[in-house]
Amino acid sequence: MTEYINLVIAGTVQGLVIALAALAISLSFAVARFPNAATGDTMTVGAYVAVLVQAATAGSLLAGSIAAIIVTTLVSVACYFLVFKKLERRPLVASLIASIGIAFFLRSMLTFFLGFEQHVFQIPISRALNFSGIRIIPIDLWLSGIAILVLAATFVLLFLTPLGRRMRAVAADMDLARASGIRSGRVMIALWAISGVLSAVAGIMVGIKTVVTPDLGWDLLLPAFAAAILGGIGSPGGAVLAAILLGVAQEVSTPFVGFTYKIALSFVALIAVLIVRPAGLFGQPERVR
Amino acid sequence: MTVHFRSTTLLGGIALAASLIAAPAIGQEAYRIGALNPVTGAGNTYGSGMQKSIIAAAAEVNAAGGAAGRKLEVLAEDGQTSAEPAVLAAKKLIEVNKVNAILGTWSSSVSLAIQPMTLASNIILMHTSSAPTLFTQNQRNLDWGFQSGSKYNGRAMAAAVKKEGFTKPAIMSFNNDAAINNVGFFRKAWEAAGGKIVAALTYEPKRTSYRSELQKVLAAKPDVIALSGYLPDTTIILREAYELGATAKFIIPDWAAGPALLKALGPDVSQGVLVYGTVPNIAGAAFKTYSAAYKKALNTSGEENVFGAQAYDMVISLALAIEKAGASADNVAIAKEIRAVSNPDGEKVTSFAEGKAALKAGKKINYEGASGPLDFDEDGNAVADFALFTYDKGQYVKRYLLQ
Repeated sequence: MTEYINLVIAGTVQGLVIALAALAISLSFAVARFPNAATGDTMTVGAYVAVLVQAATAGSLLAGSIAAIIVTTLVSVACYFLVFKKLERRPLVASLIASIGIAFFLRSMLTFFLGFEQHVFQIPISRALNFSGIRIIPIDLWLSGIAILVLAATFVLLFLTPLGRRMRAVAADMDLARASGIRSGRVMIALWAISGVLSAVAGIMVGIKTVVTPDLGWDLLLPAFAAAILGGIGSPGGAVLAAILLGVAQEVSTPFVGFTYKIALSFVALIAVLIVRPAGLFGQPERVR
Repeated sequence: MTVHFRSTTLLGGIALAASLIAAPAIGQEAYRIGALNPVTGAGNTYGSGMQKSIIAAAAEVNAAGGAAGRKLEVLAEDGQTSAEPAVLAAKKLIEVNKVNAILGTWSSSVSLAIQPMTLASNIILMHTSSAPTLFTQNQRNLDWGFQSGSKYNGRAMAAAVKKEGFTKPAIMSFNNDAAINNVGFFRKAWEAAGGKIVAALTYEPKRTSYRSELQKVLAAKPDVIALSGYLPDTTIILREAYELGATAKFIIPDWAAGPALLKALGPDVSQGVLVYGTVPNIAGAAFKTYSAAYKKALNTSGEENVFGAQAYDMVISLALAIEKAGASADNVAIAKEIRAVSNPDGEKVTSFAEGKAALKAGKKINYEGASGPLDFDEDGNAVADFALFTYDKGQYVKRYLLQ
C-alpha cells in the first residue's frame, strides 16, 4: 500500500510541474486560438535566466526567479507584437508553425551563447521525510506549494477580476467582445504576459527538479499538450487536473507495465478519454472552434 | 578513375623525389578525413576537444611528410550527438567531400546510424562507441572502436563490484543499446562468477523524475547499483536516491561523471559514488605530444578528455596504416594494416614520425597511443586499461587500476 501511495506522490509532483506549462498552453488556446509550441522553449529561457542570475547573485533563487519572470514576460509579449499579432486573422496553422519557429529560434539562441552544458540550481539537497514508509521530499513540498499558489493566482485573475472577465469575453467571441467596448489588444498583451510568467515558473520548477539544458522545455511540450487536450482545450482548470491525472496514471501503472511503457500508457488513456469525450474532460464543445 | 590513374603514374616519380629530398609529395592525392564529432549535444564536453585533436594529429602527420606521401586533409562536422543531423553530415562528407574515412563519432546511436553508409561506400569508420552490434556488423574490418566496448565495460564493473566486496548488486540502465549492454555484460560476468543480480530495470531518457524507478530497485535492497546512463539522468537519479534515503552505493561510467556531476550534486550526495573508466597512458610519450597539442588548441588539460586522446590516436594509427599499405592502397588494404601497426610483437613507437622511420627501415611496429596501448581485439575494438575512481569529500580521486 505504501508503495502505491509513494507512486501517487511521485506522479502528483510530476503532474504539478507539467500543470503550469499545460495551463499556459491552454490559456493561449482559449484566447489566442492556437496551441503555442514556443511555450516549452520560453520555459527553457526562464530556467536559464534564473539559474544564471542565481549563480551571479551568490545563490539567490528569488533574484533569479524575478529576473526570469521579467525576461520571459518580455519575450512572450514581444512574440505577440512581432509575430502572432500579424497572424491574428490567419488560419490557426500559420500561428502554430510560427510558434514552432520561435521555439527553434529561442533554443538556438540559448545554445549559441551558452552551449549545451547542463546547469544546476543551487538548492540544498535534503533527505525525504519518512512517515512509516511514505516518503515526502521537502523540495517537492516547496515546489507543489509554489505551483498551487501560482495556479490559484491565475484562477483568481481569470475568474474574479475585470481583466479576467474581459479575457474570457475575448475567448468566447473576439468580435462581439470588441463590439461591447473591450480593447482586445490590451487583453492580448495581458494574456501573453501571464503566459510568460507561467512559463518562467514552470521552467524554474522543472530546472530545480531536473537539470537545466537547452532541451528542458521542448521535451515537456508533448506531455503538456497532452494535458491541455485531455483537460479540454481552452479549459484552464481542466488542463491542470489532467496534468496531475496523467502524472499519477503514469507512475501508478509502473508495477504493471514497467517503466518503458508508462509513457505510452498515459497516451492510451488520453485516446480513450477523447473517444468518449471528444472535447476533453472539461471542454465545452461550443468553445472549441 | 582519372584521379586514380594520375596517382599511380606519379607514384614512381614521387618515390624517387621522396628519396632524394624530404619534400612534400606534390600531386599525390590527399587522404580526406571527415571529423564527425559531438561538438554540440550530450557529448559536447568532449566533441570540440576530439575535433581539435584530430586536426592537430593530422598537422603532425603532414609535418612529417604525410602518410605514404599523402597529405591528410580534415573536414570538420558537428554530429550534434544525435543520429539525424549526424547522418546528414556524414552524407555530405561522403558524397560532396568524398572523404576516405570518418573519425570520431562518439555515441553509439550516431555510430550505428553512420555505419551502413560508410560500409556501403568502403569508408573507414573510427568511433568511440560501445554498442556490440557495431562490432558484429563490421564484417569487412573497416571499422575500429577506440573506446572499450560494452563487453569490457561490463567486465570492469564486475571486477570493481567484486573488489569492493559488494554481494547484492542491482542494475539500472538508460534505454539504448550501449547502456543496456554495458549492464548486460556486467550481469553476464557477475553471474558467470556465481553472483546474483537482485533487481534490474531499464529507464527512459528525459523524465522529470526517476523516483518510481528508484523505488522499484531499492525495494530489492541492493548494496550497490550499477547505473549506466548519461550525465543529466545520472544527476537526477543520484540526487533522488539521496533524497529517498538510499543506502546502496552507485557505480557509474566516467562519461556520466566527471567534474560536472560533482558540481551538480555537491560533496555530500556525491560522496562514495564509484566511477569506472578507461585511463590514458599518461606516462607515455604519445600522451605528452597529444597533451601539448590539446593544451595549445583548447587551453585546458587533455587529461580530462580521454576521447580527445582516442581521436588523436585514430589519426596516427590510420596514418601509420596508410604509410604501411602504400600510397596506392585502397581503404580495405589500409584497414588491414591498422592491426599490423598497433598490436604487440613489433617495435614500440609513440609518434607518427618514429613509426614512419621504422616502417621505412622495414621493421614491424606497435604504436603505443595516447589513449592506451591500442591493441585491437578480434572485433576491431581497442582494449584499454580501466581504473576505478570515486568522489571523496568533494574531490574526484583515482582509487586503483582494474584488471
